[in-house]
Amino acid sequence: MSDEAGVMESTQGVSGVKVVAGLSPFQMGLARIRRNRGAIIAFWIVVFYVFVAALAPILVKVLNIDPYALDREAINDFGLPAGPMGGISWDHPFGVEPGTGRDILGRLMYGARISLLVGTIGTILTTTVGVTLGIVAGLRRGFVDSLISRLGDVTLAFPSLLLIIALANPMTQRLESWGIPAGNTARITYILTVLTFFGWVYMARLVRGQVLSLREREFVEAARSFGAGTGHLVFKQLLPNLWPQIIVFVSLSLPSYVALEATLSFLGVGLLAPAASWGIMLGDSVRYYRAAPTYLFIPGVTLMVLVLAFNLLGDGLRDAFDPRSDRQQL
Amino acid sequence: MKMRSKVLAIVALVGLVAGACGASGDGVQSGEESGGLSATLDGVKDGGTLYVLTSAEGASTLDPQRVYTGAELGAWGSTFTRTLTSYKPVAGKDGTSLVADMATDLGTASDDLTTWSFTLRDGITWEDGSEVTCADVAYGVSRTFGSEVTAFDGPQYAVSYLDIPEGDYDNLTAYPGPWLATEEEQALFDDAVSCDGKTITFNLKIPVADFNFTVSLLAFAPVPEAQDTADQYGLKPFSNGPFKVETYEEGKELVLVRNENWNAESDEVRAPKVDKIVWQFGLDETVIDERMLADSGDDKNAIVYGGILPVNLQIVFGDESLKDRRTDGFDGFVIYTMLNIKTVSCLEVRQAIWLALDREALRTAAGGPFTGEFAQSFVAPLLTTDYAPAKLLDGTKGDGTPNTKAAIAKMNEAKEKCPEVYAKATEDGLRFDHPDTDTWKKYMAIWIDTLGAAGIKINDNPIEQSKYYATINGDQGDLMSAGWAADWANASTVLPELFGKGGGFNYHNNEEDPAFAEFQTKVEEAKMETDRAAQAKLWKELNQYVIDQVWSIPGSASKAQNIVGSNVRGAYQWLPFGWYNLGDLGLAG
Repeated sequence: MSDEAGVMESTQGVSGVKVVAGLSPFQMGLARIRRNRGAIIAFWIVVFYVFVAALAPILVKVLNIDPYALDREAINDFGLPAGPMGGISWDHPFGVEPGTGRDILGRLMYGARISLLVGTIGTILTTTVGVTLGIVAGLRRGFVDSLISRLGDVTLAFPSLLLIIALANPMTQRLESWGIPAGNTARITYILTVLTFFGWVYMARLVRGQVLSLREREFVEAARSFGAGTGHLVFKQLLPNLWPQIIVFVSLSLPSYVALEATLSFLGVGLLAPAASWGIMLGDSVRYYRAAPTYLFIPGVTLMVLVLAFNLLGDGLRDAFDPRSDRQQL
Repeated sequence: MKMRSKVLAIVALVGLVAGACGASGDGVQSGEESGGLSATLDGVKDGGTLYVLTSAEGASTLDPQRVYTGAELGAWGSTFTRTLTSYKPVAGKDGTSLVADMATDLGTASDDLTTWSFTLRDGITWEDGSEVTCADVAYGVSRTFGSEVTAFDGPQYAVSYLDIPEGDYDNLTAYPGPWLATEEEQALFDDAVSCDGKTITFNLKIPVADFNFTVSLLAFAPVPEAQDTADQYGLKPFSNGPFKVETYEEGKELVLVRNENWNAESDEVRAPKVDKIVWQFGLDETVIDERMLADSGDDKNAIVYGGILPVNLQIVFGDESLKDRRTDGFDGFVIYTMLNIKTVSCLEVRQAIWLALDREALRTAAGGPFTGEFAQSFVAPLLTTDYAPAKLLDGTKGDGTPNTKAAIAKMNEAKEKCPEVYAKATEDGLRFDHPDTDTWKKYMAIWIDTLGAAGIKINDNPIEQSKYYATINGDQGDLMSAGWAADWANASTVLPELFGKGGGFNYHNNEEDPAFAEFQTKVEEAKMETDRAAQAKLWKELNQYVIDQVWSIPGSASKAQNIVGSNVRGAYQWLPFGWYNLGDLGLAG
């Protein structure tokens, strides 16, 4: 459907009625997403989170909410937040953590840095590895294709979450012995490594399928008959047509990695004290739901809104870019 | 005995020699709150089903020779495992005095305290009606030696006290336990533990003044050889008490029903009331507290194994209508932080760590004053004979807050005296090993923050909770968290275990410390001392010595709180075990 639209617009250009530049699938998608209000709102929410995360060190100074400072005054003798609503006050806009009196807003901001960092780098790594292997498999076919596809099948057959938890300590120690700075650097490196190890398959399968179909198309045949090299084929012919799928895939895997970081921290495969992480906060807060419900509610909603925004944006992008998406009634 | 998770607060085994040294009513029980009406027997009726709610996935074991958790020792002892002696089933300090159980009296010792003998009462029967014999007791004791089955899980006093030659087996004796022993090897054990009719005699290799307390441990309970299923015995032990195991399924439930073949006349200790006791395992801790607060249906007949979550203390102790159903008191544990003397060999650095530490903040993070009192000794206050608050390091504040200024001064001294350790503590950082729990993440934030203020760097090293002690057994950090309670009312089950040569819980690597030799000599002296008052004086001096050397930093003398259903009666805190007398609990209404 969208392909036809593209062809029509360029035909108009050729006929000279109106000089319109030929639109790439990417440009057409952009035009369409601008009309999707939900996706635009989601986009700005994501921008807001990224902005807050990036500027967190400055913001906590401006707001005077040190995420690491202990505040004995803000908690009572039971270690619970003093005052109603989980200790919400001018000093601590979102309340304080039971036990230590550390500021929840400040910790949420620093937690956002970790979540987005893991989400972004994890997505970049899985996408890069996945796209590369997918293109290689699709283009080379034969033995290489079989090898990569079987490798993918084997990877998918692992009980990934169990392995991630079980391997956490030995692998982190191994990484440290390889010279990665001990502590949280090694732990984040581990999480990113396993995310990439288990995450590339989906991307690779998607790309491989696309490449297998694209390589038989006329424009690729034409380029090949002019003697185009592999480099030209990949970068000039195939990749521009793969971008829509890649963007959609990225926008859907980002939130799952953000949530996975929280899940892993919750399960104890996370960061060392005193680092802040949404997963650690959520895991801790469950015990306090009666005494300090805001402590469970606020980090929960923060995480939910971000993941929801990512998903809405991802849906919008898929509607806009994926030619076969039948949800799009353009 | 070892500390389980603090949150689970599976509590203590502390035996006390009440009266032995004129235990004075000295504020030790401050803050103690009895269970009010629920501790009495008002309106109690015979029969009914008592429920035990717990988040634990199962009992650690039902095998008498393997169990070592305080509350379980009390629970199994009061229901299906009788021993030669046991503790008096009453509330308060009297509950720590010893009474004859299967034995006719508290035992007879030779003058040099190396031979102890006990005579069995008539008419004690197993659940199949057969008689409990002296041979059954001897067989039970011999099981502790079989480390391939009992795996050193239980207390090892049989191994360290009984007069059996040293040898090459895992337990370092020449006797490998009843399952593997050859005839000659079995003869070695039979020399140490001999039977003459109904009288059993223990020959010890060292004098032990309170061996009759030792035999109250379930490790000295009888097991009939014909019923022994070795490593399966912990799933269905053979009962000689008022209850027997009907079914036991880990993760689900343990059902105890009345044992018709229990001979009440032979038992002056137990007074069972309910027909059935059902343990429900694997419940969510939060859900347990909710159910107990709601107090409806069968939960009125329920008790909790594991205590109230710290977060709910404010609710439970803020509500006067719960006055008759709640308890609060010391659980016998001292929580402390071990230092690795091999890596932190500099006394000044250790003193600086102590001074910089914010014990008040740590206690608040744990749940506040309810969770314990700042410890001044590694011996718990419940051991009144041996307990004396030590003089703490100069500059330590009584309210638990840090003295950062004094800590910095100590660090400056350390810079001159031991530059290597100083550099490690300030630049590389000290590795802190601890169980990986949500609460510990907060403790670490406090450690890092408060010690950082004195220029000491701490590196967080969380270890999976269930593997914690096994891990530090092999690889010790620079600092390590720990908790310990006495096995019975003698600091001989505390100080030598924690700091002495070959101590079962000594991870300090302190044997290379120049101060160690003097300590060890005095420990040997104290162990051999047969005059109890003189011995207590030595223990107090040794405790002061350890505190002066800062081999460990005492944190708090731990307390536990609990709540029972509104129909439960007889739920007093039984001091030796830090929990209820399970077998004697009754139901009203």
